[in-house]
Amino acid sequence: MNMRAEIQRTPAEAALVDAFGERLSLLPGDGAIMVKRDDAIEQVKAGLPTRRVESWHYTDLRRLLANVPAFDASVKAKSVAPLIEGSTVLSLANGVSQAVSSIEGVTLQRLADKLTDGSYAAALVTYGTDDAIGAINTAFVADGYFVDIEAGVQLDKPVELQNLQAGGQSHVRLPVRVGAGAKATIVERQTGEGAGLVSSVSQLLVGDDAEVLWLIVQDQPETATHLAQFKAELGKNAKLTLFVMNAGGKLVRQEVIVKASGEGADFKLRGVNLLAGDSHVDVTMVLDHAVPHTSSTEVVRNVVTGRAKGVFQGRINVHQIAQKTDARMACNTLLLSDDGEFSTKPELEIFADDVACGHGATVTEIDHNHLFYLMARGIDEKSARGLLIRAFLAEVIEELEDESVVDPLEELLSNWFATHG
Amino acid sequence: MPAVQETIEQVRKIDVDQYKYGFESFIEMDKAPKGLSEDIVRFISAKKGEPEWMLEWRLGAYRRWQTLEEPNWARVDYPKIDFQDIYFYAAPKSTPGPTSLDEVDPEILKVYEKLGIPLREQEILAGVQKQAAPVDELADEEAGDNVYKSGRVAVDAVFDSVSVVTTFKDELAKAGVIFCSISEAIREHPELVKKYLGSVVPTSDNYYATLNSAVFTDGSFVFVPKGVRCPMELSTYFRINEKNTGQFERTLIIAEEGAYVSYLEGCTAPQRDENQLHAAVVELVALDDAEIKYSTVQNWYPGDAQGKGGIYNFVTKRGDCRGDRSKISWTQVETGSAITWKYPSCILRGDDSRGEFYSIAVSNGYQQVDSGTKMIHLGKNTSSRIISKGIAAGFSQNTYRGQVSAHRKATNARNFTQCDSLLIGNQCGAHTVPYIEAKNSSAQFEHEATTSKISDDQKFYVMQRGIPEEEAIALIVNGFVKEVIQELPMEFAVEAQKLIGISLEGSVG
Repeated sequence: MNMRAEIQRTPAEAALVDAFGERLSLLPGDGAIMVKRDDAIEQVKAGLPTRRVESWHYTDLRRLLANVPAFDASVKAKSVAPLIEGSTVLSLANGVSQAVSSIEGVTLQRLADKLTDGSYAAALVTYGTDDAIGAINTAFVADGYFVDIEAGVQLDKPVELQNLQAGGQSHVRLPVRVGAGAKATIVERQTGEGAGLVSSVSQLLVGDDAEVLWLIVQDQPETATHLAQFKAELGKNAKLTLFVMNAGGKLVRQEVIVKASGEGADFKLRGVNLLAGDSHVDVTMVLDHAVPHTSSTEVVRNVVTGRAKGVFQGRINVHQIAQKTDARMACNTLLLSDDGEFSTKPELEIFADDVACGHGATVTEIDHNHLFYLMARGIDEKSARGLLIRAFLAEVIEELEDESVVDPLEELLSNWFATHG
Repeated sequence: MPAVQETIEQVRKIDVDQYKYGFESFIEMDKAPKGLSEDIVRFISAKKGEPEWMLEWRLGAYRRWQTLEEPNWARVDYPKIDFQDIYFYAAPKSTPGPTSLDEVDPEILKVYEKLGIPLREQEILAGVQKQAAPVDELADEEAGDNVYKSGRVAVDAVFDSVSVVTTFKDELAKAGVIFCSISEAIREHPELVKKYLGSVVPTSDNYYATLNSAVFTDGSFVFVPKGVRCPMELSTYFRINEKNTGQFERTLIIAEEGAYVSYLEGCTAPQRDENQLHAAVVELVALDDAEIKYSTVQNWYPGDAQGKGGIYNFVTKRGDCRGDRSKISWTQVETGSAITWKYPSCILRGDDSRGEFYSIAVSNGYQQVDSGTKMIHLGKNTSSRIISKGIAAGFSQNTYRGQVSAHRKATNARNFTQCDSLLIGNQCGAHTVPYIEAKNSSAQFEHEATTSKISDDQKFYVMQRGIPEEEAIALIVNGFVKEVIQELPMEFAVEAQKLIGISLEGSVG
């Protein structure tokens, strides 16, 4: 809309633009990096997306983004124990990386260094005019970790990338490359305390025949704004399982952008979204099947309580040459409160004819027959409901099989129910 | 329109003409000057002999339209429409308002004859397979199912901008049913038109609906009074004949408490190299316990094999289940039009009301279809059902776009949606874009969608029995769409099945 230019900036838009002016001299990188940052802030200046922008239909960022705190270097983020015992932890405290230790077969670098020397410039890209998270992050990103896992390396311990905030703003990037035939488990932990504004972009390259399990666990305080993006590209016969758990935050948008660009690639998305209070949590996925013989399955389960609003948008694009694609997507929601809201838009865009694609979506209350079954056996209503909700979610978690991963996730689930159930 | 005008002469010869309604008739026409302005709106209103309030209503819409921007969210692609290059009014020259068939230009009757639409009553009786009883005998029968079995259909025929004839009027009047052209209704029943026109699709609704409100030229009006079950199927046939004309029809159907009506709509147009615009508005109002069944077989000219010409079908159709326990059901078979952009919707306002949408959208050649429905649950215990079957062949794009929403107070809202797509060939696309929004915890929404091609096993099975490939595909496709075809009145079901076969011709190999 050409009318946009005439519309006055919202306080949040103005705060972002002002913050850019103030931060400019402190941001790492020059030349090529600065050009990218300038382009990105121009995109922010043009206005944050409204519901008229299709990919933001249910999350009117312009209206919803109210909290843009100033940068605060004085706050100290509290450290947390890793989700999976024995993980190698790479921690970012309020957007600042620590000195890195080495892991055998893995190259680790602080992203600030790669920004300063300009070697990261080429990867600093947004993917369209509606990529508001990419634009905000590109403009402000100051640090992160670059993880390069060599070909053939089988990591026996998970790597946990912790992004800990303590108020103010933090903008990080987590580029990870997994070489051909390598195998790794990576935990992306998004947590902290305080009413911070966080933008985080993860970029994953999965090499041919490589296998990655990536867990995103987000449990920000209920005052935080969390804008995150996970981008991945899959090589030949590469396997990626992405597990996303959202259990906090006030305004949350988690984008998942995956491209299967090698034959035989397989992508799995499993999601558990726990919504309470007056939070707004949006999970948006765009999945491209770009070559023949790729497969994907997505299962997202949501529980909505209180006055929370939940969103799941999932788009599967099957390119014209991508024959024999097999893609399935399901989004199931338990809407437990009359003040809550859930909107879903599962899209299929299919240009190849020899494919099998499907999606299903349900929104409903707990099945009364199930409830009756349990209550008839002497279980009180509250416990019976709890059991059914837990079972509904645990199904997705248990699919991960590995006990060392399943147990801590189930514990997080229990903690959430203890405070919100 | 202008974008393709210069090439018209070069592409006179079309070898892939499966469109059997593509003939053109030369009938003397009465046209308004090209283009759109307040004067044209006044001209149309004056031509129709409309009262002052109607003209004001149109002008209000026209002024509103000037402030609107053309929507671009649909998954369709076309050159910008030059609204100043369209005739907004074209009517066959004849005595104003024919009172009987004999006064209608025989050329027009011939057109409808060619289309197989029986305007003359005896032909209607001859046209159905069933043994038809003499008219007076039928009149004695109880209003009810057995009357339908006689297969009699009252027809309102709309030719370019005006309604040329409406049959069976007197008999319908005996039952208290008003079935006439909307122009006539504005003159004869202004109180009803005033009360209901624009109450479902307001003049400010969307770009094309607003345009239609300003310049609509004709359409059908149906009023079924309290407790009346309309004694026969009502039907309208729309025909665009003139070059460069836009057809803007407006249909308004009202079913009072406990009334029932089934209405069919069919459309065709000549084969032309330029695109023509069709922007209709259909409004349905169902009061307490009323039921409206609206069926469409849309077969506007789809353009030739290279994607030249064809109708732009930009339609706003909406039903309002205003009363408790009311029911509105949309059934559509979409095979024609270069571009289809329509979403027949139901607003489930009354408690216990029900909305249904059954759709088959077939696209071939360079056709683009973006169609679906909206089910807006507002009342308590409302339910809706969506069955959509999309079939894409050739270079076409076929999109299902639908919305299901339950508002805060819509306790026990229930929806089931199923949309299946079938792809024939690897140059076409099938897309599904459902919007599901729940704001009430007792709402229960289910949505499922699948996309696949005709499996080789299925095809092999049929062909092995000596059926050629093309027929085998038609057979499988007909099985695929059976659920929707079943919802059509019998006469239409046969026609629809044939149409699907014709539309897919040439899609093999």
